[in-house]
Amino acid sequence: MRSFRQFLLLAFQALLRNRTQAALAMLGMTAGVGALVTSLALGRGAQDALDEQLRAAGANLIVVTAGNYAVKTDTSVDPEANIGHSLGALEPRWEHPAGAPRAMRAAFSGRLNSQVRDAGFSDAVLRVDESGLEDGFVSVHFEDDPMAVHDHPTAAQRLGDSSAGLGSAATLTRADAKAIAAIDGVRFVVSGVHENERIFVQETPLHRQWFTRMHGTEADLPQIRNGWTMVYGHFLTKADVDQGTQVAVLGRVVADHMFGKGVNPVGQTILLWHQPFKVIGVVGSRSWADQPAPGDDQFDAFYVPVSTIDNLLNLSKLNNIAVTTTSVGDTTKVAKAITDLLRQRHKITQAMPDDFTVTSVAQQVLGKGLSPALARMVTGNMASVDNMTVASLSASLKRTNRTMLALLGGVAIVSLLVGGIGVMNLLLLSVTQRTREVGLRMALGARQGDIAVQFVLEAVLLSVIGGLLGIALGVAASGSLQKFFQWSAVVSPLSAAMAVAVAALIGTVFSVYPAQRAARLDPIEALRHE
Amino acid sequence: MPVISLEAITKVYKLGDNQVDALRGVSLDIDAGEFVSIVGPSGSGKSTMMHILGCLDRPTDGHYLLNGKDVSALSRDALAEIRNRQIGFVFQGFNLLPRTTALENVEVPLLYSRPILPAAERRARAMAALEMVGLGNRADHHPNQLSGGQQQRVAIARALVNQPSLILADEPTGNLDTKTSIDVMRTLQELREKQGITIVLITHEADIAAYGTRIIAVRDGLILSDKANAPRPALEDEVAPVPMAAVN
Repeated sequence: MRSFRQFLLLAFQALLRNRTQAALAMLGMTAGVGALVTSLALGRGAQDALDEQLRAAGANLIVVTAGNYAVKTDTSVDPEANIGHSLGALEPRWEHPAGAPRAMRAAFSGRLNSQVRDAGFSDAVLRVDESGLEDGFVSVHFEDDPMAVHDHPTAAQRLGDSSAGLGSAATLTRADAKAIAAIDGVRFVVSGVHENERIFVQETPLHRQWFTRMHGTEADLPQIRNGWTMVYGHFLTKADVDQGTQVAVLGRVVADHMFGKGVNPVGQTILLWHQPFKVIGVVGSRSWADQPAPGDDQFDAFYVPVSTIDNLLNLSKLNNIAVTTTSVGDTTKVAKAITDLLRQRHKITQAMPDDFTVTSVAQQVLGKGLSPALARMVTGNMASVDNMTVASLSASLKRTNRTMLALLGGVAIVSLLVGGIGVMNLLLLSVTQRTREVGLRMALGARQGDIAVQFVLEAVLLSVIGGLLGIALGVAASGSLQKFFQWSAVVSPLSAAMAVAVAALIGTVFSVYPAQRAARLDPIEALRHE
Repeated sequence: MPVISLEAITKVYKLGDNQVDALRGVSLDIDAGEFVSIVGPSGSGKSTMMHILGCLDRPTDGHYLLNGKDVSALSRDALAEIRNRQIGFVFQGFNLLPRTTALENVEVPLLYSRPILPAAERRARAMAALEMVGLGNRADHHPNQLSGGQQQRVAIARALVNQPSLILADEPTGNLDTKTSIDVMRTLQELREKQGITIVLITHEADIAAYGTRIIAVRDGLILSDKANAPRPALEDEVAPVPMAAVN
């Protein structure tokens, strides 16, 4: 094989001798490989599109919420006596989103668990500490309270109530979130604290305020919210969350209200709890279907590091933990693993109900632009979006693409065959032109195999060059289909490599006949050939 | 042991319904170091003889022993190997590869030798062969940059490169003028004298045949005469001596 380079060089020279014919033969290969790459890209794109749709629809999203809505227990049960058990009856009004956090505040302000329910409805006690107002900032440190036990060995010993309404129970901690992140198949874990807060801009001339949703969150949230785009600046960084810096990302609606439409508020300061928070970004929606509107939870809202809330309020409890799985098909499995882990961490025995609720969010697919057929299939399997469901979804989507793919595949095969015939034609020409040379090489000791390899190599070289150009063509074609027709096309390196391999194979197959013809030449006749 | 030993070689071609008896029983021994000229008019069978001697063709009947080994019934690939290792060809039309340097042309037989030599070794051997024919300074010239005589000497270097026991020259001066013909014949003579290489020359010109040590005349597929010859010196008065690279 050390003479391989010489043979390759020879093949190259032979191709150069018949430039026009070589270019035409190559064109066939290029068209064939281009069509092949494109059809593979469209097939792959369809697959990815399905997965992406399911992902975007939240099919891989699991939300762990503090508390357990499903549990109904006797109101008369004494919390202290009922260790580890869910406490209290669940009044419908407690589910009000704003109600729950208030209840938590009220709990410490009253410093008595028994007062929680009563105090919860009084806005008057909100943010009122025994120490009173200090420099305009109310320090809210209910976990500083020596009476409060915040080590959560069981649900019952916690402040709050495991059945106090979804998200309001103080049963989830950031340590839980960290533990969930270690589960196999988990992609992103984002802790969440959700409250309604009033924020201010003090600088004249704005001097505005807005009562809106506050989300204490982590840097990975945008990874979960596929529909988001950063209008200005950037989202919270990991460093922000690690260090608990006082920065905020505003929802589009909030930014528009506080600083005016179309104004970049990055670098400005808002006041929350009379503390300055630097604005570092604004989030908006990427989707026309989900435009920011006053009152919505995502964009009429602002985002601060969950750790900052912890620092300022000493509030290590979470309302919920959002988890995404790496694969849509793993959702059920991961949800089960989370349940097991949290029960273990919260020391919940078999007889006791969960003090948290795990929901996978497959329901949302209905509202997110999936075709009705797909949505029905997803929601029909809501409880267990498992591999089987995903496989059947893929099958249904593939059916819709089958005609198109068959057509393109057919074009690819026909083009490759035409390319192969072109290669064969070129080689036959080459054999005729080089008969004398073949005779000479035979006289000098070339075996039949050496001669055949020479011509096969010529064909392979031609096919591979044609194939590489074909990849470029395929990438360009896939790109334009995506750009102008919004077809999803993904060129994978594997499919490109495969296409060139197919081209080389076809080149080889079609070179067999000419190569054989050359190898079987009679050296004497060949030497006499003019 | 003779280098070449032909025993009752016949060769019959079938051309349609006609049978052509190209050779009708040729027996012949050629010893190492001989410079044999085979002469005869066209159609005498000398070309067929050369093809069989060169292992390019197999006899219809009879035996051909090359260095004691019967090669008359070997496969095509086995014959290719023998041509590669034991026979060097010099053709009338030079048969050099165009757009390929003299050195690379000389290297071609080495590409088909198994086991294949490393590239550097191939290059060195090709260079040595070129120097042997006095063309070491033309190694990177393409055939179209060389004169006819130089081209034929490149072809001789190519025939020498694999150190064969036999050089077969088929009308090597057919395309050359007198002066360059003498150059080429002188090169062949020197190879025999200094390297002891056996040379078989096929020609239809009596004055070219006269450079050999033995002249065999062929006619109608049979040996007409076979006699020793005092080789004619390749030193015509009007021809300036060709500088030869120092050999040995």
